[in-house]
Amino acid sequence: MSLAQELTFDTYDEAVESYLDRGWTDGLPIVPPTPEKVAAFLDYAGLSADEVLGHVPTREVTVNAEHVAVNAVMAGCKVEYMPVVAAAARALLEEKANCHSTTGTLSGAAHAVIVNGPIRNELDINCKAGCFGPGWRANATIGRAVRLVARNVCRAIPGFLDRATYSTPARYSFCFGENEEDSPWTPLHVERGFAPEQSTVTLHSVMYMTSARDSASRDPAGVLDSISRTVRAMGVTGDRWLGKDTNVVLVMGMEHMRYFAEAGWSKKQMREYLFPKLTAPSGKGESPVRLGKDDGILIVAAGGHGMSETWVLHPHLAWAITKPIDLA
Amino acid sequence: MRDAIEMEWSGVPSVAIIHEAMRGSANSMRRLSGVPDYDFITVDYPHIPTAVWSDDEVREVAKEVAPKVVAALVKNRG
Repeated sequence: MSLAQELTFDTYDEAVESYLDRGWTDGLPIVPPTPEKVAAFLDYAGLSADEVLGHVPTREVTVNAEHVAVNAVMAGCKVEYMPVVAAAARALLEEKANCHSTTGTLSGAAHAVIVNGPIRNELDINCKAGCFGPGWRANATIGRAVRLVARNVCRAIPGFLDRATYSTPARYSFCFGENEEDSPWTPLHVERGFAPEQSTVTLHSVMYMTSARDSASRDPAGVLDSISRTVRAMGVTGDRWLGKDTNVVLVMGMEHMRYFAEAGWSKKQMREYLFPKLTAPSGKGESPVRLGKDDGILIVAAGGHGMSETWVLHPHLAWAITKPIDLA
Repeated sequence: MRDAIEMEWSGVPSVAIIHEAMRGSANSMRRLSGVPDYDFITVDYPHIPTAVWSDDEVREVAKEVAPKVVAALVKNRG
């Protein structure tokens, strides 16, 4: 049974304009969440409308499945995306995802939704060239749905509880998959304890994104040294509450990845090499890297051929959360 | 703001010190927490909102806000 207030409009355009006027969107038009569509999304994911996916206690917010389905429809998702959006919402509402802070911060942190497992191919989630940008419906609308949940349900409204000084275009949508097929490594979700055939989302707060661009190095150590310099320039945040649960995500593209494949380096070896370099005391022009343990370094294979670079997703004050995608 | 409110709920007298730039969010938070009249005090420019202040600046702010903290604590008790 629906818990939502029902509104009636005479035309599609009237509905879209009304949602924009009421401040229920990210500034872009939405797909009207008709009761039939919302019910279909819930049914596909095997969720009842009142199933609680999590809370933001500091904001007196409880997020239920219907809230998420409404926003997934609004974002333009296909019904098949609903289990991914629900898993991402559950991740956002985990305590150490720190929803209150990561959606309210002056720094305007975004959230990267990183998808692993077979569902990437089933839904055509881009993991390769252009995976951070537009052009793929699944990437665009899953990421958008998570942001609409943050805005419309978790009260992260600019000027209200979202106090971003600039905010970021990544807050419109930021979702990509790990390129497991071209990667020589154990996928992220398997490293975090899931079976290879279990699809997952990993939600990572992103305060800054910087590119470790290095076309000169031709070996793993050289590339990792460049990455280390890039991470250390901006640092990794942490606080007493998070303790050792801090992390940074390194998204390594095809050009850098092949040196590790040729040399047979695992992600574990990369972390062991990087951790002492990253956490050495910061010097002039550097910021502290508050990583508490080497498995706080999350390495993800994604991106296309061309530029020799690895993207560093510096976190806000949160631990990246991985959740299984439950298929009904 | 919410930290101060939750401390009050747990029985610890508290007051939030908010930068003037955050007044709107502080107001929103006390409203949605159901205590729209819960008092808070503000620090204003030239002190920057992120509180990355020199030791001297910290002392200056402390002198400025200490009496307000006491007054707010007394008022919140009333």
